[in-house]
Amino acid sequence: MAVDDSVREALEREVGVEHVEELGEVSATLTRRYAAAVGERDPIYHDAEYARALGFANVLAPANFLPGVICWTEGAPYDRLREDGTEADTHLPGVPAQGVRVMGGGEEMHFTRPVVAGTVVTRRTVLLDVTPRESRQGLMLVARYADRYLDDTDDELLRSVRTVLLR
Amino acid sequence: MTTHHELQAGSVLAPQTNQTSITQVFRYSAATWNTHRIHYDKEYALKEGYPDVLVQSHLHGAFLTKYCTEWAGREARLADLSLRVRRFATAGESLTVQGTVREVRPGDEGRAWLDLELVETRDSDGEVCVEGTATLDVPLTWLAEGALS
Repeated sequence: MAVDDSVREALEREVGVEHVEELGEVSATLTRRYAAAVGERDPIYHDAEYARALGFANVLAPANFLPGVICWTEGAPYDRLREDGTEADTHLPGVPAQGVRVMGGGEEMHFTRPVVAGTVVTRRTVLLDVTPRESRQGLMLVARYADRYLDDTDDELLRSVRTVLLR
Repeated sequence: MTTHHELQAGSVLAPQTNQTSITQVFRYSAATWNTHRIHYDKEYALKEGYPDVLVQSHLHGAFLTKYCTEWAGREARLADLSLRVRRFATAGESLTVQGTVREVRPGDEGRAWLDLELVETRDSDGEVCVEGTATLDVPLTWLAEGALS
């Protein structure tokens, strides 16, 4: 199976529907691992004392950490994974569980405030639009999702628009 | 190449190279709980028509982010970053990011907005993998005289 009109219609029904997820506390271990994986050596991402000397409560997360994390839960059961390994239920609202290949196509991010380890984060996601496009491999759908990341006082940390390619 | 002084539209910043590896791509998937097989299952990547496992689009984004924040240091702040993946890169490839100042705009007192164009290229063949833009809040002292006029 590839994308077809039924997939497009399923996605179009999701346009404008807001999904709210409590992502939980951003732990210092997670942000440090992210920084290590990227190759960030700046001590502000690794050394809590250094970060405190600069006025932060703990280490900072690298700027694109929040949108970089794909899954904030323990992960779906294996029977709720798509063939490509992505999670069927939580990752991309509106995308069917099987038969669709998914790739990231880009992102626009606005960094409102630094994310300090220990911050409790909520994400609000809305599918903005779905656009069909012909590619060498046949029909492709371009879906744009808007995400807002908020702390526990509803102050914005980051907002982004991510482009997802579906084949 | 321009560092932190005499910046103006057209200034070219120093490049930064990231040597990727299968280990890095795996660690990035693990740190972000990205279970997409195209990043760790070579057989699956081949089935999808790629020569090897792919660098994640967010890891490309992380390279652009690192480029901007390392260059900005403590005196400047990355406000916006956008990127568009043009071509895939496979684990093991060397990727170089370079920025050019597109525009300089007035900011708050003593500050300016710097708009950068960013390009990430595959060193093996010079193909552009990612195009991006960034906006940074920088001290006025970083600008060349007359850069805002």
